[in-house]
Amino acid sequence: MAYSDKVIEHYNNPRNVGSLDKKDPNVGTGLVGAPECGDVMKLQMKINPDTRVIEEAKFKTFGCGSAIASSSLATEWVRGKTVEEALSIKNTDIVRELSLPPVKIHCSVLAEDAIKAAISDWKKKAGEGDPAAQTSAAQAHS
Amino acid sequence: MSAAGELDDVECRELSRLAKKSLRKSYMSSTKTQTGAAPAQACWNCNAVAGGGHFCAACGKIQPLADGADYFAFFGLPQKLKIDEAGLEQRFHQLSWKLHPDNFVKASEFERNLALERSSELNDAYRTLREPVLRVEYLLLREGVRKEGTTKQQAPPELLEEVFELNESLDELRTARNDGGDLSGLRVRLGEAQKNFQEKLEEIDAELLHVFSEWDKSVDAGADDNERRKQMAKLNEVLNRRSYIRNLVRNVAQELEA
Ligand code: FES
Ligand SMILES: [Zn+2]
Repeated sequence: MAYSDKVIEHYNNPRNVGSLDKKDPNVGTGLVGAPECGDVMKLQMKINPDTRVIEEAKFKTFGCGSAIASSSLATEWVRGKTVEEALSIKNTDIVRELSLPPVKIHCSVLAEDAIKAAISDWKKKAGEGDPAAQTSAAQAHS
Repeated sequence: MSAAGELDDVECRELSRLAKKSLRKSYMSSTKTQTGAAPAQACWNCNAVAGGGHFCAACGKIQPLADGADYFAFFGLPQKLKIDEAGLEQRFHQLSWKLHPDNFVKASEFERNLALERSSELNDAYRTLREPVLRVEYLLLREGVRKEGTTKQQAPPELLEEVFELNESLDELRTARNDGGDLSGLRVRLGEAQKNFQEKLEEIDAELLHVFSEWDKSVDAGADDNERRKQMAKLNEVLNRRSYIRNLVRNVAQELEA
């Protein structure tokens, strides 16, 4: 299938590949998977507890080109944003930015889910549980 | 690099391709039928009640498929997941012979078109129902339980964790291979992991058969929509877990052979 130039660019030069210490209380980890294809994505963020700004983001994705590009883009987008701002990122924003075709929408959903899961994990560590965060936190790991 | 994806779209998606393709077909209306059987219709030729089969019971002319007919109805089967595969194959051969376009060279254009369409559908229907996994995927896609882009991740976290770790080991193996490093330790580790996941795959296949029977029982009992939804959610959940494990088994096998 044909990938857009932006997908190919992220695929060839993924930003922020790697991992952060998941034991660090300021690090939130989101591990999610797409049942459609069996791909998995891990996204981690280091969050400043005072400013709630995401200072660092890393990802590691085992999946298709679109999933890699979506997570790479997600790490770029969340850096420098507050937790609340990052939570407002929608998979449709990613679809638009990367011009993903309909069959690749689930790859972008994965990235949105990973952002949410990482933030819930961080909130859980920080003792901020809201009921919605609790459910998705089940997907993340501490 | 560590984002070890393939730029190409891969095979596993092939699994549901057939089922999805069938859903796009116009004759597959989204009408739900409890049993998969088509309601009786009048024959276009002789007006007798055609009986819902491919041919009119009275005059023998080929019939259009009833609205809401699915692949199960195509073979005259109820919407059950345990299928007598030998019987299905036999029925497939009979039908492909009966529906063969060669039998319709002298028929009207209407009938010729029906026969042509039906013959190609027959192949899709057979290839889908023949494989247990494709069969259940088809059922769930058709009932709207499985949908592209909308499924939330449902695999248990421990499984995701295992999947992720194994993928990391695969990555290490690739890197070590490229650097000409020592692979023996890694290979042993991966070989063990592969055995472990192969066993898991067998377990999950057994589990799938078990939920197949549960589904079939509820079809026999004429279960209500609520119960059907519950069963389908369970089927979907098992399929999701299976999909992770199957991918891993395949990836590990590929790497170990490389
Ligand atoms: S195909 Fe699986 S995440 Fe893209
Ligand atoms: Zn007739």
